[in-house]
Amino acid sequence: MATVSMTVNGKLVSRDIDPRTLLAQFLREELRLTGTHVGCDTTQCGCCTVHVDGKAMKSCTLLALGVDGSHITTIEGLAHGQELHPMQAAFRDHHGLQCGFCTPGMIMTAVDMVNRKGTNLDDQTIREELEGNICRCTGYHNIVKAVHYGAEAMAGTTKAAAE
Amino acid sequence: MAMTMKGEVALPADRETVWAKLNDAEVLKACIPGCQTLDKTSDTGFTAVVKLKVGPVGATFKGSVELTDLDPPNGYRISGQGEGGVAGFAKGGAQVSLSDLPDGAPGCLLSYSVEANVGGKIAQLGARLIDGVAKKTADQFFTNFAEAVKAG
Amino acid sequence: MSATGIGASVRRKEDFRFITGKGQYTDDVNRYGQAHAAFLRSPHAHADILRIDTAAALAMPGVVAIFTGDDLAADKIGGLICGWMIHSKDGEPMKAGSHPALAQGKVRYVGDHVAVVIADTLDQARDALEKINVEYAVLPANVATANATQPGAPVVHEVAPDNAVYRWAIGDEGATQAAFAKAAHVTKIDLVNNRLIPNPMEPRAAVGDYDSGNDAFTLYTTSQNPHVARLVLSAFIGIAPEHKLRVIAPDVGGGFGSKIFIYAEETVCVWAAKKVGRPVKWTSDRTEAFLSDAHGRDHVTHAEMALDAAGRILGLRVHTTANLGAYLSTFSSAVPTYLYAPLLSGQYAIPAIYCEVDGVYTNTAPVDAYRGAGRPEATFVIERLMEIAARETGQDPAAFRSKNFVTSFPHQTPVIMCYDAGDYPASLAKALDMADYANVPARKAESARKGLLRGVGISAYIEACGIAPSAAVGSLGAGVGLWESAEVRVNPVGTVEILTGSHSHGQGHETTFAQLVSERLGISIDNVSIIHGDTDKVQMGMGTYGSRSGAVGMSALSKALDKIETKAKKVAGFVLEASAEDIDFKDGKFSVRGTDKEIDFASVALQAYIAHKFNGQDLEPGLKESAFWDPTNFTFPAGVHICELEIDPATGVTRIDRWTAVDDFGVVINPMIVEGQVHGGIAQGVGQALHEGAVYDASGQLVTASYMDYSMPRASDLPAYQVGMTQTRCPSNPLGIKGCGEAGAIAAPPAVMNAITDAIGHEDIAMPATPLAVWRAIQKGAQRAAAE
Repeated sequence: MATVSMTVNGKLVSRDIDPRTLLAQFLREELRLTGTHVGCDTTQCGCCTVHVDGKAMKSCTLLALGVDGSHITTIEGLAHGQELHPMQAAFRDHHGLQCGFCTPGMIMTAVDMVNRKGTNLDDQTIREELEGNICRCTGYHNIVKAVHYGAEAMAGTTKAAAE
Repeated sequence: MAMTMKGEVALPADRETVWAKLNDAEVLKACIPGCQTLDKTSDTGFTAVVKLKVGPVGATFKGSVELTDLDPPNGYRISGQGEGGVAGFAKGGAQVSLSDLPDGAPGCLLSYSVEANVGGKIAQLGARLIDGVAKKTADQFFTNFAEAVKAG
Repeated sequence: MSATGIGASVRRKEDFRFITGKGQYTDDVNRYGQAHAAFLRSPHAHADILRIDTAAALAMPGVVAIFTGDDLAADKIGGLICGWMIHSKDGEPMKAGSHPALAQGKVRYVGDHVAVVIADTLDQARDALEKINVEYAVLPANVATANATQPGAPVVHEVAPDNAVYRWAIGDEGATQAAFAKAAHVTKIDLVNNRLIPNPMEPRAAVGDYDSGNDAFTLYTTSQNPHVARLVLSAFIGIAPEHKLRVIAPDVGGGFGSKIFIYAEETVCVWAAKKVGRPVKWTSDRTEAFLSDAHGRDHVTHAEMALDAAGRILGLRVHTTANLGAYLSTFSSAVPTYLYAPLLSGQYAIPAIYCEVDGVYTNTAPVDAYRGAGRPEATFVIERLMEIAARETGQDPAAFRSKNFVTSFPHQTPVIMCYDAGDYPASLAKALDMADYANVPARKAESARKGLLRGVGISAYIEACGIAPSAAVGSLGAGVGLWESAEVRVNPVGTVEILTGSHSHGQGHETTFAQLVSERLGISIDNVSIIHGDTDKVQMGMGTYGSRSGAVGMSALSKALDKIETKAKKVAGFVLEASAEDIDFKDGKFSVRGTDKEIDFASVALQAYIAHKFNGQDLEPGLKESAFWDPTNFTFPAGVHICELEIDPATGVTRIDRWTAVDDFGVVINPMIVEGQVHGGIAQGVGQALHEGAVYDASGQLVTASYMDYSMPRASDLPAYQVGMTQTRCPSNPLGIKGCGEAGAIAAPPAVMNAITDAIGHEDIAMPATPLAVWRAIQKGAQRAAAE
């Protein structure tokens, strides 16, 4: 067993774990944050995407011990109570999800995309940036639309926060 | 899934010397990449434990090695099979033959023709890599073997 | 139309939990004290099991139990079943080999279940798997679909010594021969419909639980049809009687057919929960999903179409070999027969059709329904033939299709189906207009200037959905009826709970079913909840597949709502002191005709439960009704998809430039959701055409068993879609709904392949048309041209 500590969604957590525990496993099983999904085990589908120190990373192939001391944000940490993050709201408003399984990873990737690429995203950029996230339901059309409008909405909130 | 490869390597020793090394369990053990144990069970049989990694799948294969078609000092057939648990299985063989180098040059020529078969997880996850790994493993073996022959 | 009624693009009620990470999928379910199961799977495609030694594994830390096929047999747990009997043309019943949940003496495909380890943790279970020693005697494997029945091919099941499950036929052979005898032109084609792996993003999972106090089982599982799962696990596999087995399918992360079936893993988990006295959980990893989820398609077909001198179709004959894998999965036998050949008439008036299908065993994973199930295969045959026939006879592909369209209804085809309604010229005209078909030559010239090859492909598909009239499927061999049920529970405060046998795994039933209730009862969708997926809550239902939830499930709901309205009128009559016949119900209010006396729906609900006004009268208290709906015909959604693409001849890379879809789904409840279904279907169809293909090597190893090797379509592989609709009402259900879930997957593959072959100038290319395949086809075309 080994002790791991990290800040998850703003709360400091510390657990004794089997050293081979993956971050996705740690979040799902130790912390019961089951919004982070495991879809492929080989870092291709992106369902397990979380933010590690502000950057989107796939938690299914990260060891929990490897991110000891990090700040983790999961899908559960994005909204403030009933008040959705603009990207979450955009996915709902533009029907960017069907079965919902890839959705948490899509949203975490999309937020990271805006953080890196800005709020004015063209469709081609969005499609290319979604390379590491697979959706089997939507055919991506409405996800691309949701990311586009979510990014614009994030511009509004960042502006509002800056003012 | 199956793969085949052929190759040859010139060795700085005569056929009889090379033949002896080819039948020496200690030499084989040192030369087979990832070989943990190679224990003689008969004049021509061994049990072996070999660690092998193909892409994301690493496994310890336990199995047997058999020498057949012995034709000293001209060659034999070495074949083996191993079970790697959930990683799958590997089996295969190599026809190894020794011949004189052209123009009476010193040493001899070792030619080999390998066919190998893997299955289970190792094929499912490592299919793209398996030819490369097999070739690398064979190259590594004969490079090691050449070294061993050189070292006498 | 109300803001939340039929026809409104209402935002989905279920989305909040999904976008906040609060969905509850099977793997999110954790029961107190649960142990974890891991399955030992065969690394060989075909082998006798000589010995299984579990001693070392049993000694590993945390191991609770290890079971093999012998343990299941000792408990008289039956094998997995195929529920649809197909008879060969000589009258022989299909040859169903036994299908134990854990292998007994033999493994028949890579991934077949050999043993299960149950341990305190998943890692411990997986560690112990490594220590099980199995001695196999490896047998030669039978892998290739086309060669499966050849003399000397390895025999998969003794009951089928030539590996033929059945040799089935449909249609009038003599009439078809006569049609070909008088043909002015015959178009011939050989096609492979590539094998696909469904890949819903949520892998399958199961949690079995046993309550010894009540001798009752609960199974949480990733199912599209929990009641069917319970029926099969009870009546055929023998886990427990139905009243002692509760099956819960919570949020399910996509199915596409692959979660219809009853698999080995959930059978073992629920059985083992009693054996070990603890809940037992299993979650598939992705490679297990590739190996053991039922695959789709895998046909090898030769087809011929006879035309007269005027370009009218005289007849069609088809021979298909359909790979069913190593065992017959739950509905597998029906997919390449009754879900396939009856659709070969397409949208066209074809006087004579004859089709033979050989279903064959191979040492590969079982093959069963995958989005479209048989209908994409049929559409691929007919729409490739239409395109090639048009090219061979120098006709415009759109005009050639038009000339042969069915234009009067009902239309009886020579292969069972009776099309009830449609307007095929309307969807073609609209699609050609939206796709700017008239300017294709100009765009082709523009591409050519850039050194690119542009192609356009049309696909005019039809499907049979709303599966299905029970009597019809019964006469064709189905072991069940395919009706649906609904229950409407009105609470005393006027809120409504709907219990439906349909199951939502992405389709948005919590929204669309609520929209129907909102429309009918005049209440807000916020006051309606939809309950599904739990056999202890919901009355028997048949589940979701074959685009049936709207046409069949919502029809059952509509019928139950009729009963609610009838009873509520009686209640209102007592309250308003009028005869029920004089009560009108509109916009959520009951009123006495010709008066200003009225009462709203919520007040009637309250009155129904307090029962003060009709005590002693011929009316029961309460407001709850249920209904079962059994359709009288299939529904026939149809439409036209047009794919326009550009190929770079230097690399073989295909880029889809435009996609136009015009579909007739009958009445649409929520256009936003329906368009989403079309998008997703197209993506899976494009995936089949350009990317996906399950590859077994000659020894039966699956070499496409992860996302490293199986190419799933990504966002950058797909275009934005233009989706339009036409509408003819479906006459065979009360709502006029036809169904939309499979259309894209059915329409897309021939649209893409017709476009690619248009671009490269010849027909010699198979799916998936990867860049390498396209590049090779271009080289082959150039060589051929040079030789001529």
